[in-house]
Amino acid sequence: MSTVSFADELRSRNDAELACLFNLRPDLVTPVPSDFSALAARANSMPSLIRAVDGLNKWQLDVLTVCTILNEPFAKSDVTALTEKAAGAVIDDLWERGLLYKDGAKYRIVSNVRVRIGDEPAGLGPKAPTDVIYAFAQLKKAPEAAMTMLERLMWGPPRGQIGNLKKPGEAIAWLLEHRYLIAMDSQTVVLPREVALHLRGGKVFAANSATAPVLEGTTRKQKEIDRAAVANISTFLRWCEELAHNWSDEPPVALRSGGLGVRDLKHTAEHLGVEEVCAGFVAEMLFISGLVVIDTDDQIMPTSAFDIWLTKSHEERWRGLVTLWLETSRVSGLIGKADQKNIAPLGPELDRAGIASLRTTTLALLHENPELDPKVSTLLNRMKWLTPGRFNGEYIEWALREAEWLGLTGQGALSSFGRALIDGADDLGVESALPQPVDHILIQADNSAVAPGPLTVELANTIGTLADIESRGGATVYRFSEASIRRGLDHGQTGDQIKDFLKRTSKTPVPQPLEYLINDVAKRHGRLRVGTSNSYIRCEDEALIQQITVDKKLDHLRLRKLAPQVLISDIEISEVIATLRESGYLPAAENSTGILVSAPAIRRAKSRPKPPRVISDFQNPSDVVISSAVRALRAGQKASAHKPREVPRTTANETLALLHQYIEEEASLTIGYADTNGGVSNRLIDPLKISLGTLMARDHATGQVESFRIPRITGVAPAATE
Amino acid sequence: MSDGPLIVQSDKTLLLDVDHILSDECRRAIASFAELEKSPEHIHTYRLTPLGLWNARASGHDAEMVVDTLLKYSRYAVPHALLVDIAETMSRYGRLRLEAHPVHGLVLVSNDPAVLKEVTRGKKIAPMLGLPLDDETIIVHPGQRGFLKQALLKLGWPAEDFAGYVDGEHHDIDLVQEGWKIRKYQELAAEGFWHGGSGVVVLPCGAGKTIVGAAAMAHAKATTLILVTNTVAARQWRDELLKRTTLHEDEIGEYSGSKKEIRPVTIATYQVMTTRKKGLYAHLDLFDAIDWGLIIYDEVHLLPAPIFRFTADIQSRRRLGLTATLVREDGMEGEVFSLIGPKRYDVPWREIEAQGYIAPADCVEVRVTLTDAERLNYATAEPEDRYRFCATTLTKQRVAVALARQHSEEQVLIIGQYLDQLDALGQELGVPVIKGDTPIKERERLFAAYRTGEIKCLVVSKVANFSIDLPEATIAIQVSGTFGSRQEEAQRLGRVLRPKADGRGARFYSVVARDTVDQDFAQNRQRFLAEQGYAYRIIDADEVLSAD
Repeated sequence: MSTVSFADELRSRNDAELACLFNLRPDLVTPVPSDFSALAARANSMPSLIRAVDGLNKWQLDVLTVCTILNEPFAKSDVTALTEKAAGAVIDDLWERGLLYKDGAKYRIVSNVRVRIGDEPAGLGPKAPTDVIYAFAQLKKAPEAAMTMLERLMWGPPRGQIGNLKKPGEAIAWLLEHRYLIAMDSQTVVLPREVALHLRGGKVFAANSATAPVLEGTTRKQKEIDRAAVANISTFLRWCEELAHNWSDEPPVALRSGGLGVRDLKHTAEHLGVEEVCAGFVAEMLFISGLVVIDTDDQIMPTSAFDIWLTKSHEERWRGLVTLWLETSRVSGLIGKADQKNIAPLGPELDRAGIASLRTTTLALLHENPELDPKVSTLLNRMKWLTPGRFNGEYIEWALREAEWLGLTGQGALSSFGRALIDGADDLGVESALPQPVDHILIQADNSAVAPGPLTVELANTIGTLADIESRGGATVYRFSEASIRRGLDHGQTGDQIKDFLKRTSKTPVPQPLEYLINDVAKRHGRLRVGTSNSYIRCEDEALIQQITVDKKLDHLRLRKLAPQVLISDIEISEVIATLRESGYLPAAENSTGILVSAPAIRRAKSRPKPPRVISDFQNPSDVVISSAVRALRAGQKASAHKPREVPRTTANETLALLHQYIEEEASLTIGYADTNGGVSNRLIDPLKISLGTLMARDHATGQVESFRIPRITGVAPAATE
Repeated sequence: MSDGPLIVQSDKTLLLDVDHILSDECRRAIASFAELEKSPEHIHTYRLTPLGLWNARASGHDAEMVVDTLLKYSRYAVPHALLVDIAETMSRYGRLRLEAHPVHGLVLVSNDPAVLKEVTRGKKIAPMLGLPLDDETIIVHPGQRGFLKQALLKLGWPAEDFAGYVDGEHHDIDLVQEGWKIRKYQELAAEGFWHGGSGVVVLPCGAGKTIVGAAAMAHAKATTLILVTNTVAARQWRDELLKRTTLHEDEIGEYSGSKKEIRPVTIATYQVMTTRKKGLYAHLDLFDAIDWGLIIYDEVHLLPAPIFRFTADIQSRRRLGLTATLVREDGMEGEVFSLIGPKRYDVPWREIEAQGYIAPADCVEVRVTLTDAERLNYATAEPEDRYRFCATTLTKQRVAVALARQHSEEQVLIIGQYLDQLDALGQELGVPVIKGDTPIKERERLFAAYRTGEIKCLVVSKVANFSIDLPEATIAIQVSGTFGSRQEEAQRLGRVLRPKADGRGARFYSVVARDTVDQDFAQNRQRFLAEQGYAYRIIDADEVLSAD
């Protein structure tokens, strides 16, 4: 049972068989291993095995589990004896996947599979000690309580807690005596594997998992499914557009940890008129498509890719979004889940491995069952059977929810667009199914306008600047108001242009009150002008002002005449005054209330004082200070005399390597260990084992077995001899 | 994609393309469950609300019918979530029922024990309920019928009331159709109400709500309490009932500030009912004075909050609400639904107008340019005085007078808010002014003279706004008014909307000062009127003055 023989077996496989293996486990060839022993090592490596085992369905996994119970090498018949006849085919399959390998006519198991399956496969305990031979007939004589106990343990977990081994109850005493239970320590007993198998009736699993659970649900008509899906698709695309536009108008500021804040998410949801989870999903889709981005100043804004996206056909947009959704590892469903802290959309904490394959598998299942809107519980059962290793009911329900939002499904069943996408069709049929864009609006006397369908992009943009959206859906309802018309004027259109545009695009005559409104606003727009300048010159003598404006020597002041008596300049006031004086004028400065500032001769800096630090001799300290300093020194001296030897710092890798070494040598050692406050103390310990980033060790100081978090260990050194 | 007349929006509004060939058919189909929000010339907007859907359930429609209708007429695919939501909402109505139990009196019944459990756990509801009889039935404490319905509606589980009504004291009432005939929709409205037990009938101003009330009384043939907004309206009800029914003068009592008569048919004003003496409502006994068989609430949308509280106590009597609109400015639509009853009949304004029962109105906004002096005064006025300032300028008055003179051959009504302005107008035109302090007798005399055409022009203040029939008015001129409230507009328009004997169109002028807050309010008015589907145009005061 060495890896070499696995390598040998791999070497003996023919090309087709190898190709099959690589197809099933593509990670084995990325990158291509140098030789067969490297391949064997990789196939036996934990990451690759985890991936391979997780890819098995329940039935395959069950058969593999049974294989780990058997003594190697084992024959197919050994496996079928413990399961079903059909297991034979699965053995071949497992062999193809390189989880089993052949030893003559029999099979062996790749060594790390056992580690992956665990110490107690199928809830079976360890094997009984070799000296025990059971006579199961005597179980009939067992006390009733003992049988109850066995029944409780037979399907696993095989371990049970008892009060005290030294004073067991009658039933336990009987079981221990006949070795149907074996004591592990003073409080734990375990049911040996042979006993459990006997109790299970010679089969490992209670239920036969050879056939997949059946999907149940409502059957729908493809036409209705597609109708619903079209509504979903157009709604989703609209949400995307709407949200990006909204963020372009009022960009939210990202959290410091990255991501969209709770309040902004709420605001977004209100804006779209959907639930927060849905708004979060839309935001995520925009984010992963690169249509919005967290800018350098932490503002979340649409990118120029969004403008390009808008010019694409609906089908292209949809295909892009859905393809990304199928690939992404981000799980929008996690948004707002407050296990420890809030998970924000667009944040860094949304990635989960394996979610993409879960989505693909779910959709594939819908693909296999056309026109079926499956009951969620049956779908989850099926998924659990298909991917026991990766199953996560919550994730699957989210995936179904998102597929519906995206319009991959309609009324819960796969739409023909989704089907075309999965089949890799060139034309998904989205474009022809979506309502055709309209190029007109209907303006009504209440100053509202209705676009009775999706508007063309240019039209939507122009109307968007002139009117506020009041209601969305198949149609869009716009409302004209003073503010919205003003916005249009701010965008550089004139009142006449606006009226022309409306006359052109409206199928109905523009109502007279709306024209009045536009005229009114246009008339008032820009009547007040606002600008900035640094200084002004005013003079009641208009002739003098005139003279200054034509004075060549004052050209560089770039004076502008605002009124017959007022000039403004971008130049600072002091320079203007100086220049005027040089040119022979007699200006005086005035302050903000118009009062003459009479003595501007003394000049002062505008910036705040920042005097340099004073560097001087030390002052003589007071007696109190001196005496307390002495006390402190004495205390420090004493402390350093008792200071333990410092443990040298070691890097994480060194620490781990050293710990392993000491565990093997069973030697004592000293570690530096940081407590929760960051203080480092030295501990003298006997290391026992390492698991999950924790070192179990007996602490000499307390005599107790304690756990030490490895990242907290600052250094490791041989035990100090004091 | 079908090419229907209806577009379903994601905010649960429905847009109906009235120019579409199927629009009439579709309008009729959706009117039962969606509320008409606005009806401008091309696209009408309906809204799906829980109350609207429950109203539909109450009148026997189910979710399937609603969904089918939407799918049938919708131009684009309808989001599935919206349909699910509709079905969900509608299924909530009637899941709980109030029934009369032969032994235990009033009980709350549900076939769905989970729902029953959910609502009984509510803090507000638990005290109203007694012991459960079984999983599906719980005793309701006597007297809590109304409050329970109110509380259940707030929880989103409106209860259907099958507990029945007391017949009340019998009193013979019949319609006397001499020289007039009850209109089809009035008959349908009364029948719809009678079969529903209790509820609200929505009819536009001028569509003859009084006659619906009279017809309902003829169905009930029992003593009736009628609650109206004010004394003038009370007298109009009395006159109308005398004219249309077999009732005699001594059978109809008035219960108001001045008279306290209790007769088989008693007409009381909201004001007297809500009068308090030493903190107590002094006239509550009226509700128990006679074993009333029917209670009619006129202008339900104005029903004061205390009356709701009394109404909760009299749930075993039949209640009919009459109103032009279910919209309440105070948002108490839910109270109307739970305490008076669901909507039993509804005819949109336009429909009745199309049938020729309401004169079509032409709305004209007259823009007045203030003089420079007036503008300067306006600009420097305190913000709270600004409206008063621009609304009462002399320039405006001149235009109003010119308008009134132009229409001197017709029946003109000038409506305003500020008394000085009204007095000045009355003086200049030499016509009577009706204000809050005008005695009832005098008011009635003036109104009567106006109706006969003896007086051609009247100046009225706010007090004249509600429930007074001035069917001959063809021109209304509004010079000032409270800040564009929707209700006031409806009332004002109602003045001139009553059917005219010769089928002439009515005109509604509002005189507005340009570039002031007055104009902003006018914009609200324009929106409201246009939403109701009335033609609206703006003219310059110069046009009026030059024609003068």
